[in-house]
Amino acid sequence: MYGIEAINANNGWAITAVGITIVFSGLVVLSFVIAQLHKGLDLYDNPQKIKQWFSLKKKMGKQLDKPLETGGSLLVLTEEQKEIVKQFALLVRTLEDHFSLPRLLELARISGVKNFYSNLKILLKSGILFPDKEGFFCWDQDLYIKIISH
Amino acid sequence: MDTLFLEFFQNTGFYLCDYRNIIMIMIGLVFIYLGIAKDYEPLLLVPIGFGMLMGNIPIFKGLGLGIYESNSVLHYLYFGVTQGIYPPLVFMGIGAMTDFSTLLARPVLMLLGAAAQTGIFITFLGALALGFLPNEAASIGIIGGADGPTAIFLTAKLAPHLIGPIAVAAYSYMALVPVIQPPIMRLLTSRKERLIRMEEPREVSKREKMVFPIVAFLLCCFLAPAALPLLGMLCFGNVLKEAVVTERLAVTARTSIIDIATILLGVTVGASTQGDVFLTSKSVGIFILGAVSFCIATACGVLFAKFMNLFLKSKINPLLGAAGVSAVPDSARVVQIVGQQEDPTNFLLMHAMAPNVSGVIGSAIAAGVLWSLMAKVI
Repeated sequence: MYGIEAINANNGWAITAVGITIVFSGLVVLSFVIAQLHKGLDLYDNPQKIKQWFSLKKKMGKQLDKPLETGGSLLVLTEEQKEIVKQFALLVRTLEDHFSLPRLLELARISGVKNFYSNLKILLKSGILFPDKEGFFCWDQDLYIKIISH
Repeated sequence: MDTLFLEFFQNTGFYLCDYRNIIMIMIGLVFIYLGIAKDYEPLLLVPIGFGMLMGNIPIFKGLGLGIYESNSVLHYLYFGVTQGIYPPLVFMGIGAMTDFSTLLARPVLMLLGAAAQTGIFITFLGALALGFLPNEAASIGIIGGADGPTAIFLTAKLAPHLIGPIAVAAYSYMALVPVIQPPIMRLLTSRKERLIRMEEPREVSKREKMVFPIVAFLLCCFLAPAALPLLGMLCFGNVLKEAVVTERLAVTARTSIIDIATILLGVTVGASTQGDVFLTSKSVGIFILGAVSFCIATACGVLFAKFMNLFLKSKINPLLGAAGVSAVPDSARVVQIVGQQEDPTNFLLMHAMAPNVSGVIGSAIAAGVLWSLMAKVI
């Protein structure tokens, strides 16, 4: 038996379709998984990110007026401002998820953060610090990373 | 005394010689020449070529000398081929010397490795159409994967009587990658496409490289369990390499073990090409289909890269698609050479290694799929 007849008789079309599908799906799944691998490892290294992610999700419904980005683009900071923002980030780690602004300012003063009032304004303007509508403030870690690495 | 001399003469190769032995010996010599003088895959072609000389010495049957005689030394060594022992050992060595960084940095290039495997299945259809049995057609199709150990492994399982021609075809085409691929690559791409520069890949952490072989092994083998012997050993070899603490084992796997396995594989496969067994119309068909399979695989990879460019923001150089066949690292080198002929400052080798190593994974999965689908047919 030869030609199309032989292919039909031996179920060739189906075997080919199944074979190509399995090889493709296997490598597509694998490429998707390895594309996420470094993110998973990053979360493993910084487990607090998971907690922050969930707490932010909860707040998303509550706060609508959070200035996410400035005019659709990220606020560009100078290297000096970035250093000060990093100092604030360290201080925020010592606080609860929802904290009062005076408490943060107090910590900044004790820690010797330079021009802490004016620099706090940068944090608010950039959206890294945002109000939770209950009198407290929260820290947007994702936006912080974006702005710092920008 | 005359009778004794006559009897002795009748047992010599000069008396028993057949024109088919002469043809195969000539082919063996060509392999050795290509390996040594032209530097075409010498580590494979020299053992196979010499194996051809060994296998085609005309011998008196019954003395236990031929590879197909059950009590011969060559037959015992050939056991590793027929039972699929050597290919996984070679894969372990490949795993222990492969760096998956570029693949991890840009996983989307893995799809090119998948696309190139399409050639295997299209050739499978072609072989069926030419009257080969399904198990034989599957073994012939896998030549398009451009992976000698995989082709031998699958053929040993599905069509052991075709190991000789399929192995020789697979290794010949692997050696001829620099000759076969460039015309197809140039034909299917424009100059503008060949000039595309790839983005710098991101830095990949050591831990990513460590986790990858384990994740890849589990995922692929759960999907296609029949790929276990090849993929298992490939990933195991890579774990040894990346774990650092097992460096000694990794060194053994990528030097001594792969060398021993390659020598035994090459010599016995070469010796299995005895003229009377090898020179048949089927072998000619296998060689033609093997070449077709290889060309289709290359073309599929290149065309799929062009297809991906329709959707990607950051375009990829379609030449990379040709590296989807798993001739590591030859096809990646060919991509580099063809790319540099257009722009000497364009370095594609590092990027081409991603589809190249994913082609190894892809062809192992394809072999596993064909094996499991054909198991019922057999």
